[in-house]
Amino acid sequence: MTDTPVDPPKWRRDFPYTSGGEDDVTRREFTRYLVLASGAFATGTVAVAAWSSLRPINHGKPLPIVKLEAVPVNGTHLFGYPTKDDPAILVRLPGDRLHAMSQKCTHLSCVVYYEPEKQHMVCPCHEGVFDARTGKVVAGPPQRPLGRIDVEVRNGTVWALGAQP
Amino acid sequence: MSQTAGRGRAVSSAIGVYVLVLLVLQVFLLTVAVDAMLGDDPGLAWVAASCSGVLAAGSALFARYVKG
Repeated sequence: MTDTPVDPPKWRRDFPYTSGGEDDVTRREFTRYLVLASGAFATGTVAVAAWSSLRPINHGKPLPIVKLEAVPVNGTHLFGYPTKDDPAILVRLPGDRLHAMSQKCTHLSCVVYYEPEKQHMVCPCHEGVFDARTGKVVAGPPQRPLGRIDVEVRNGTVWALGAQP
Repeated sequence: MSQTAGRGRAVSSAIGVYVLVLLVLQVFLLTVAVDAMLGDDPGLAWVAASCSGVLAAGSALFARYVKG
């Protein structure tokens, strides 16, 4: 194979000027920067995974929420659980079935509301829809179900027993 | 510049672009890991971390073949 000289590209002929530092970063150096960034991203992802394994999760303590008679059938009661800053919603479905779940949409944390006609939880921000009985995603952009909160009735009062992820 | 040298530079550039694509995939994997963390799913986060590590190793391997 013979090596024959190649003409410079047209843009170089049209613009035959060079600046002082234009060849300072070679391909190899640039690729090395990319590899460093790649290592940083891998390290960051491992750190996130480690944190997700190790971080403490507050599942909450048993807490009285509301008198059962104060919640209408096919109605809701809003409360905070596991802390008062975590919005949660209690739904009393027909047949005296009680379901409680986090009110934060799993898409971008907007507050969901109850739609009694379809018994759905609806997120007004991006039209995410969840099943009010299970918290599972019915439609929209959310990928994960709403956080479930275990509840039971003790002496006519609804108690939250603990939050499930 | 010879044709061989030009071809070598083209291959090096192509490898650089490929490493860049792997980097973009790692950005995506990082978002997956964060989403898994928020969803309390450490298993998925570890899968994303493993894939990201493999891609980083691949990037380092490819970078060895970049010349100039």
